[in-house]
Amino acid sequence: MKRSVRICIFTVLALAGTAFLLYGVFSGQFASVLTKAAHICLECIGIG
Amino acid sequence: MAKAKRVKGEWKRLTVQAAAFLLMNPKLHHFFLGTIEQGKTKSICVPGLNCYSCPAAIGACPIGSLQASLSAGYKKPAFPFYVLGFLLLFGLTLGRWICGWLCPFGWVQDLVYRIPFFKKIRTFPYERFLRWLKYAVLGVLVIGLPLLSAFSGVLVPWFCKLVCPAGTLFGGIPLVLANPSLRGQLGFLFWWKVGVLLALLLLSLLISRPFCRYLCPLGAIYGMFNRIALVHLRFEGDKCVDCGRCETVCPMGIDPRKQFNSAECIRCGRCARSCPVDALHMRFGLRMKDDSHKKSTI
Ligand code: SF4
Ligand code: SF4
Ligand code: SF4
Repeated sequence: MKRSVRICIFTVLALAGTAFLLYGVFSGQFASVLTKAAHICLECIGIG
Repeated sequence: MAKAKRVKGEWKRLTVQAAAFLLMNPKLHHFFLGTIEQGKTKSICVPGLNCYSCPAAIGACPIGSLQASLSAGYKKPAFPFYVLGFLLLFGLTLGRWICGWLCPFGWVQDLVYRIPFFKKIRTFPYERFLRWLKYAVLGVLVIGLPLLSAFSGVLVPWFCKLVCPAGTLFGGIPLVLANPSLRGQLGFLFWWKVGVLLALLLLSLLISRPFCRYLCPLGAIYGMFNRIALVHLRFEGDKCVDCGRCETVCPMGIDPRKQFNSAECIRCGRCARSCPVDALHMRFGLRMKDDSHKKSTI
């Protein structure tokens, strides 16, 4: 892969990743991750 | 058939893997209490397949969180911005180096593979096709079916429910052992998942990292970043004397001379450490040169 193409893809994805993360924080999505992660997940442990 | 090959400096990687496990799972007292940690840090995704139902975990598993974020309530599917943000940033910086150095379930498979007495195999028949399974697992069990369930009412994280051996090993078994009320609820699903875990551990005695090669959706995601991630493997074709040592020590059964950019490479560095002429190097940073003149085939 050409260096310039790689840098372009990298930059676009890095900006998208940062924007997604910030949007996720401000829209409250992180709270639903916390809710899921802070309680025993019955599917993970093979009961649900 | 062959024995597991020894490579210098491997203890460093095993130490980093152990340290990463402890960093992601420091609240060890929960193992004895049969409860899980509930602090606020659990809103943050960790890079490896580290179950959030592991009693000691202080972060969130990205694959469990990805499935959970596909719904925002009853019959309300959602786009998982937050978790995708983590996956993009982890993938762009570290790629599958996470698999080689940080992931707890990768570490467990490495430890099991080191057990001697079993003849080791490098690849299975139909290896190329088997490796595509992980993309099917990602598309169907992590995204497709959970999304369908979100449309129809209540979200079901099908990968966690039917397959994930990390959930069984780090979450299910310790919680069931320490918590009598959970023991009373065991049924077919639990024993199915224990069977999947045992099958993968038994396979790990013979072949290196079977779950990572064939089934792991997180490895499938990070592999897509290997070509552009900051952590990368550099191959200098003009130095290479074609001794083939790198290929024989690769835990993922690939040829680093041709596949240094492969989505299968977990950036463990074993090939670089065993090259007698320093033709392979692990690097961190934006790649300032175009790919080596010996072209990657994957
Ligand atoms: S069961 Fe597996 S995928 Fe699900 S949260 Fe646990 S480690 Fe992650
Ligand atoms: S492929 Fe999956 S289980 Fe294997 S090391 Fe990577 S994230 Fe962990
Ligand atoms: S190609 Fe090298 S760095 Fe990649 S998995 Fe194989 S031995 Fe590890």
